[in-house]
Amino acid sequence: MTALWQLVRKELLVLRRDWHALALLFVMPTAFIVLMSLALRDVFSAGRGTPFTYHLVNHDVAPESDSLAAAIRRHEAFRDLGAGDDTALLDDVRHDRNHFLVVIPAGFSQTMMNAAPRPVAISSAPGVDAATRQLFEAAVREAASRVYVQRAMEELTVLLTGLPTPPGARKGPAMDGVERLVAATSLYGTDGPVRRPTSVQQNVPAWLIFSMFFVALPLSTTWLQERRQGTLAKLRSLGLAPQTLLAGKVVPYVAINLVQVALMLAVGVWLVPLLGGDALTLGHSVAGLVVMSLAVSAAAVSYGLLIANLVSTTEQATILTGVSNLLLALLGGVMVPRVVMPEAMQRLSALSPMSWGLEGFLDVMLRDGDLRTVAPRALLLAGFAVMSLVLGALLLRRPRVE
Amino acid sequence: MIDIQQLTFRYSRQAVPAIADLSVRVREGSLFGLLGPNGSGKTTLISILAGLLPVQGGRVTIGGDELRGNVSRIQRFSSLVPQEDVFYPSLTVVENLAFFAGVLGIEGAERQARMREVLGTTGLERARAMRAGRLSGGMKRRLSIAVGLLNRPKVLFLDEPTAGIDPQSRHFILEFVRRVNAAGTTVIYTSHYMEEVESLCDDIGILDEGRLLVQGSLAELLAGAAAANLDALFLGLTKTALRD
Repeated sequence: MTALWQLVRKELLVLRRDWHALALLFVMPTAFIVLMSLALRDVFSAGRGTPFTYHLVNHDVAPESDSLAAAIRRHEAFRDLGAGDDTALLDDVRHDRNHFLVVIPAGFSQTMMNAAPRPVAISSAPGVDAATRQLFEAAVREAASRVYVQRAMEELTVLLTGLPTPPGARKGPAMDGVERLVAATSLYGTDGPVRRPTSVQQNVPAWLIFSMFFVALPLSTTWLQERRQGTLAKLRSLGLAPQTLLAGKVVPYVAINLVQVALMLAVGVWLVPLLGGDALTLGHSVAGLVVMSLAVSAAAVSYGLLIANLVSTTEQATILTGVSNLLLALLGGVMVPRVVMPEAMQRLSALSPMSWGLEGFLDVMLRDGDLRTVAPRALLLAGFAVMSLVLGALLLRRPRVE
Repeated sequence: MIDIQQLTFRYSRQAVPAIADLSVRVREGSLFGLLGPNGSGKTTLISILAGLLPVQGGRVTIGGDELRGNVSRIQRFSSLVPQEDVFYPSLTVVENLAFFAGVLGIEGAERQARMREVLGTTGLERARAMRAGRLSGGMKRRLSIAVGLLNRPKVLFLDEPTAGIDPQSRHFILEFVRRVNAAGTTVIYTSHYMEEVESLCDDIGILDEGRLLVQGSLAELLAGAAAANLDALFLGLTKTALRD
């Protein structure tokens, strides 16, 4: 324990004097978050150029609901991906794998002219911007209006021709009933007034994870310097086990990651709004945020140690860390949100640990998830961390010809 | 003190063993010079003795304890000063010493006493507050040695301690090695400088391609080979072909 504490103190002292590393770990992500949140604010709210898709499920067997479905499908801005199981499709939307779900309930046609109709339900994904959501809802409402008006005209025709109305039927169509035919829900947030996904909501967790993975750079280069200078050999000759040496890196860098989390969230909550951007909302699960932070950190630090023990020079470590972090970030939805990726890329994206981390953070911040929601992603990250650590330890034990 | 019997070691994916069937005996309190061309196995041998590499074949005992299975115990009374700098450039001299003393479990007043002791032994008192990275080459080497002395070792492995440093620092280090050996520490000393080994060492071993070519006192070795000096003996045994 004494040796581990000494290693941790030394590491923090060394890092405190390394201004380049401090800039990389703290200044770079702060700048990214502020600049990207402000620069992309309008892009996120407009949702330009994104191919929006929906699933349409029709449980009603009636000409009116068929007409409604056909009218919705005629909109060229949105693409129907077909029907399926409601629950599974809703889960897809909740997790941003699809943008919208439209469900026409059984009995829609029968009740559509009533005072309390069974409405068409629209669910929109958390990542869909407000303007697109409103556009889609308007498209469905417009389609519903057509069906409604057509039915109203039919009823009116019956009244005008003086034919007796069927028993129980209303005296005339309620022309104000269109609004009640469609019920829209955004799956983004739940509490109080509807909160809408913003640029800062996407950018803070994304760049936070990116910067957390960048601890791999100072970690791997200091490790390599220690190895090349003989410091590592000296420490091992003092009887320190490889796992103690690894722990001596893991503990301080996890601490640094947690400081990054606190700082970047503070930037999103307080600094970005001061500069004219939207404020970051954190969701309601502190435990979820803490677990995701620890899981991402464990993965990032272990990945750094793996790289450090895989390569021979600091140049190799710098290149490998930089390039692999960029690729993981590109794949993981850091630079391009997963929601706008084509389906094949979204599937590929699921391979990146940054994606697991980002989706976990978004689960808490965007979808009001809790500890249970993020547990599977946290476990994936923990598994990745264990695998990297074990490989790193094995490589450390391997005798090298220096 | 150190008894090596038929030691072998091969790095992974290397066709030729780095140490092959090597047997050496180093007396307690002696100053043993280990010579050999580049790649002869000197550093590998010292790394094995310091517990950094495993004993793959053969048997090694240090201070009566078999190395295999007792590495931690042996590491408590031995110390390695590798060829490279063993400190953190961004930390000061004192911070480096405090860190390594802490790792060794030396705390409080004892830590201060040991640090004063090694700073005095290596002549670094006035540089105590300097960042290690800003020290001269000779001072850096002395700091590495100071780190190596913190546990007051009975066996000291010095791997080319005078390579690439100024004459004054070299002189200081050679005097230091004599003093520490005179105080009872067994020293294993590797070097490419023949005159250093001639003037310092009681016993000399010459290694090449992982094998011990000869071992004995300087007089014994010169007499046995009818060589005028150690340089001639060394080149006679290892030949003049370049090794790098």
